[in-house]
Amino acid sequence: MNLKKIPQVSPLMTGILSLLIPGLGQFFHLHRYRGVAIFLSTGLLSGMVIWYGKPIWYLAPAAIWLWNIWDAINIARNRKTLILIPILFGLAAAYGIGWQMVGVDFKAASLERAAAVIRPMLHPDLIQTRQELNRMWTPIYVPCSATETIPPARRVDGSKVAFATPDCAGVLETVIVSASGLWPNTDTTIWWETNIGDDKPLGGNENKPLVVRSDDKGSVTTVIHVPSTVLIAQPDPNLMLEHRIYFDQYRPLGGIELSTNGGFVLKGMLESITMALMATTLSIFLAIPISFLAARNLMSGNPITLVIYVITRTILNFVRSIEALIIAIVFVIIVGLGPFAGVLALTIHSVAALAKLFSEVIEGIDPGPIEAIRATGGNWLQVVRYAVIPQIIPPFTAFTIYRWDINVRSSIVIGMVGGGGIGFYLIQWIQINQMGAVGAAFIAIAIVVITLDYFSAKVRERMV
Amino acid sequence: MLRILNLSKVYPGGTQALKNVSFEVKEGEFLVVIGLSGSGKSTLLRCINRLIEPTEGKVFWDDMDVTAASPSELRHIRSRIGMVFQQFNLVKRSSVMSNVLSGRLGYVNPWLSLLGIWSPADRQRAIKALERVGIAEKAASRADALSGGQQQRVGIARALMQEPRIILADEPVASLDPVLSHSILQYLEQLNKEGQTVICSLHFLDLVHRYATRVIALKDGELVFEGLPVEIDRAKFKEIYGEEAQEVRSSSFETTA
Repeated sequence: MNLKKIPQVSPLMTGILSLLIPGLGQFFHLHRYRGVAIFLSTGLLSGMVIWYGKPIWYLAPAAIWLWNIWDAINIARNRKTLILIPILFGLAAAYGIGWQMVGVDFKAASLERAAAVIRPMLHPDLIQTRQELNRMWTPIYVPCSATETIPPARRVDGSKVAFATPDCAGVLETVIVSASGLWPNTDTTIWWETNIGDDKPLGGNENKPLVVRSDDKGSVTTVIHVPSTVLIAQPDPNLMLEHRIYFDQYRPLGGIELSTNGGFVLKGMLESITMALMATTLSIFLAIPISFLAARNLMSGNPITLVIYVITRTILNFVRSIEALIIAIVFVIIVGLGPFAGVLALTIHSVAALAKLFSEVIEGIDPGPIEAIRATGGNWLQVVRYAVIPQIIPPFTAFTIYRWDINVRSSIVIGMVGGGGIGFYLIQWIQINQMGAVGAAFIAIAIVVITLDYFSAKVRERMV
Repeated sequence: MLRILNLSKVYPGGTQALKNVSFEVKEGEFLVVIGLSGSGKSTLLRCINRLIEPTEGKVFWDDMDVTAASPSELRHIRSRIGMVFQQFNLVKRSSVMSNVLSGRLGYVNPWLSLLGIWSPADRQRAIKALERVGIAEKAASRADALSGGQQQRVGIARALMQEPRIILADEPVASLDPVLSHSILQYLEQLNKEGQTVICSLHFLDLVHRYATRVIALKDGELVFEGLPVEIDRAKFKEIYGEEAQEVRSSSFETTA
């Protein structure tokens, strides 16, 4: 430090300067960085505390302010104080306020609620035992018409016969339903289907399935009440319409099969992987030309190309800083729900990410082989083919596979905002509390991500 | 066969790498170029096949003016001049075979070569070239799986593919340890004895004495010596390499003796 320039400010005066504006005393004694740092951090901390508005926290900036005065006086006396003290005060305030803002509440984590969510997830709805369905139904007419003739509520299907007595009934009236020719000694689920195809359970308080066991001869007879809600969707409640009563029997066939939700899991997973593949492939074609514009060694030749380089780099950095998820939300608004929005979002993010990686590969290219191929008498195309391409293809491939791997993960999340794929199903299952299906989706995601991770790591190992 | 006339090179930054250099190379010579790092040895070798464009002066090869050659003529000339580099300049990720085959690019149909199609005769030639430098069994390996000495031998095999009349070797052993240096230079000596002209830049004086048939020396881009290896004694060496040469020389002798 230049000794001549140290100003003659007394320790007291320095203290007063730092009292007025933190860091000013230090600044005057040519500890410029220290002064500015103290000023900024005190200001930042004060701002945070004032904004948070809990008086107790004013202690922290106050303490730092006091320390700063002490520090200024010490500097004037050519001594130094421990900078650890204000750092500790600052960290204590930052973490304390952070803790209060997050609202850490261990009581909120109820074990029962956790169990209610996690237990069904432990029985993932992915596969089921194969079952054979034996189904019979009979019409029934609701409500009874005063003018029309009422057809019989009876149906014959081969050896199976089903009927309801009486043929017509109003809401909540009692009906005897009966079926014969079914499998003997088998649980039979009886349920109502309205004229518009709504399923209504008949057991409990209209909220549980009604299950009756068939007798030795395969007959079932029971009493039901017409569900209270069967006419809800009907414009004219006096118009007589045909509803149906179903008799369903299941028996195991042996073996297992994909459950309905399991099918959706597979379909969604396939969609996610395909989305990622489409987005990655599309982004390669866009990223390669852009990467040449973003390679410093190619573009630093003259001022015009240098400007193009800077602009390209800036745009890439900007686009890359926006998560694909957020781009996806915008595209869902523009092109509507579904995989297309997801693919567009992934593509834009991937182009930015890949172009940067590719341009770094181009920047890191070894000029030696280029010189060697020129020396053998090769023309420009041969130089590109034998000296440039062999150097850039393996890292390009490795980065692309890595990007595909990332895109599969991203596409799962993007689905949750409507971008298609398994995330789209997942968010719906969470909303209707189908945690079994959620568990199945988790398994599928884990398998795919781990597999891809493993293979992309293997391929990269071989290539780079 | 090769005449260099008043060759000068000024780089865009203003550095004068070569100043008015003239000399001749006769068929079958093993000409060694010595001089400090930065004295212009690499620039001189690269001006001969115009990897670096000379600013002034002429290069004649059998009375053909290399400096005035059209791009296609120049490629033809280059195809007959093999080149070996200090850093080997192999494509590290490619196989040894494809590195060696690339030496043939000046001879083959450009379109077939772009598709990576090579005639069986060229493949045979590549195997022969690798056999000559004793690493035929490494043909399928990736170039970066080889040791430094082996990589330089691949570099020589690549130059052999050109069936060159001249081999330019730019400090071929500067990246190798002394034992390997001899084995690499012996390959060049062998080729020289079979009639090929070799122009080689070297750092170590004992190697110069052992291999050169004639020596030229550069200092700050100027030709300061031309003659037989035996003419370079301690005094001459000090003159070429400057005041600090004593240390450089003794240490080089110790490590290579």
